[in-house]
Amino acid sequence: MSLLPARLAAHAQSQRVAIAESTRSISYNALWAAVLRFAGALAQRGIGSGDRVALLLPNSIEAVVACYGSWIAGAAVVPLNVQARARDHTVWLRHAEPRLLVHQTASADVDEALAALEFPPLTIAAGADSAHAHSWAAVVDACAAVAPASAAHATDLALILYTSGTTGSPKGVMLSHANLAANVASILDYLQLSDADSIVSVLPFYYSYGASVLHTHLAVGARVCLEANVVFPQVLVERLARERATGFSGVPSTYALLLDRVSLAAHDLSALRYLTQAGGAMPAATTARLRLALPHARLFVMYGQTEATARLTWLPPEQLEAKLGSVGRPIVGVRITIRREDGSAAATDEVGEVWAQGANVMRGYWRNQEATAAVLHDGWLKTGDLGRMDADGVLWLVGRRSDMIKTGAHRVHPIDVEEAIAELGGVVEVAVVGIDDAVLGQVIRACIVRRGNLDENTVRAHCRARLAAYKIPKQVVFVEALPKTASGKIKRAEVAAQAASTGAN
Amino acid sequence: MAIAHRPLVRNFILGNFLFTDDQSAMTDSGSLITTGVVDSTGVLELITHLEEALSIRVPPEDMVPQNFDSVDAICAYLARKTAS
Repeated sequence: MSLLPARLAAHAQSQRVAIAESTRSISYNALWAAVLRFAGALAQRGIGSGDRVALLLPNSIEAVVACYGSWIAGAAVVPLNVQARARDHTVWLRHAEPRLLVHQTASADVDEALAALEFPPLTIAAGADSAHAHSWAAVVDACAAVAPASAAHATDLALILYTSGTTGSPKGVMLSHANLAANVASILDYLQLSDADSIVSVLPFYYSYGASVLHTHLAVGARVCLEANVVFPQVLVERLARERATGFSGVPSTYALLLDRVSLAAHDLSALRYLTQAGGAMPAATTARLRLALPHARLFVMYGQTEATARLTWLPPEQLEAKLGSVGRPIVGVRITIRREDGSAAATDEVGEVWAQGANVMRGYWRNQEATAAVLHDGWLKTGDLGRMDADGVLWLVGRRSDMIKTGAHRVHPIDVEEAIAELGGVVEVAVVGIDDAVLGQVIRACIVRRGNLDENTVRAHCRARLAAYKIPKQVVFVEALPKTASGKIKRAEVAAQAASTGAN
Repeated sequence: MAIAHRPLVRNFILGNFLFTDDQSAMTDSGSLITTGVVDSTGVLELITHLEEALSIRVPPEDMVPQNFDSVDAICAYLARKTAS
């Protein structure tokens, strides 16, 4: 099985567009040359096998060049969430110990994070300010290319994707080149992509879904058109029409925005061949409206986890109606079983925990054996998701065992938000939970036991200064006490249940 | 009496996205999107608020950065919208 650097190299002579931003683009040929220059710049600095390169970049040509260039040089890539704040960046950089950080120019959060490190990495600043000695232009563009022999091996670490910024125990999912290659091959098996395809991507590369969209399309020589966000659905649909895009990938809230806020029928989207949806259950009504609005596009419902590179199951479009609400069957190369509490196999249609096995399952969490041992068991990944398998081998999810909140395209660990809020004077204790929301899937609610006259705005302003915007609680409620176990641990599930029964605010 | 657009826009953004009444916390010309002040749901909340307060309707084709990426842009849009 070809590793991703080799798959990209296969298109090195192609003049077709690889990545198209809104105002500039790069061909496969030029992309490959830039990747080699980046690898050369790393080699000059002695960065290679066994090292890590952290990226703090929005989706961009530079982010792709830095990723593949690091792989060619033999280094692992640590793409960090650019929406996160200095408090998260510091934790991740200290934990991952990269030799190099590639970031955007003029970021106060990056400066703050670097200043907090005892041993800061080398830096390359990508962006408009090219006069800088550590600028992309000075370091990468000026570098002579190295020979195109990739130093990457199948078992080498390729990516570390952090799923939580919790101070005590950051979780960085370790994916090898073999993991990435296996998952890309499985996804291509059902999406059947080719170099005639083009996708408009709004999903960040530092999330597994966005990374998966990028790498699957580059592997076949397709065109990846980048849109910064979904703030203006009109802009997104105009781009889909203008690019004659054959594909689009979104989370449920993206599709809800497109259906509610744009007249899809007013645009020529006839080139759309496939739509993919992952990132949580989409309401059946939204699925039905999407099918009605874009009947010619095949809709692929998918399920997976960062710990499984990205994908675990897919629902063939032809079975969408018959199995609506399910997440389909395992992708090629993956086995799924449902287990009872005691680890024994559950019967057909019996609800239990979803366990997965395959070449796409992670090696573990970076420098976190305890967290790794909790989810990897005898070669199986315990997903923490609850589900049942029907008689046709189709998986139906019924909930999550863990507390992770899914809001829009984001995953939020309650502890990350609780730690930030707890630092605020006047907070006695706090529990953060997800509340069901029609558009976002879930929104974040903070339940606080306060001292004095702490108010909602103070809490949210405090969070705004410290957390990514999507982690700021939409709801802040003050309570007399929080439900606890006998040992004094807050029962988050009970807080969530109470919140659900009392409704919003 | 006509509702002044600028304070309507500013106060909503300050109160709902920046959680402060400090008028100096934002500029009128800066991008609301690239500075992370407003996200996709935030834009919708802002538009819904303006639609209700000014009894207008913002059609999908008007929901573009040229009309909504800064306080200045929003005020210019509202001026055109309420004049017609």
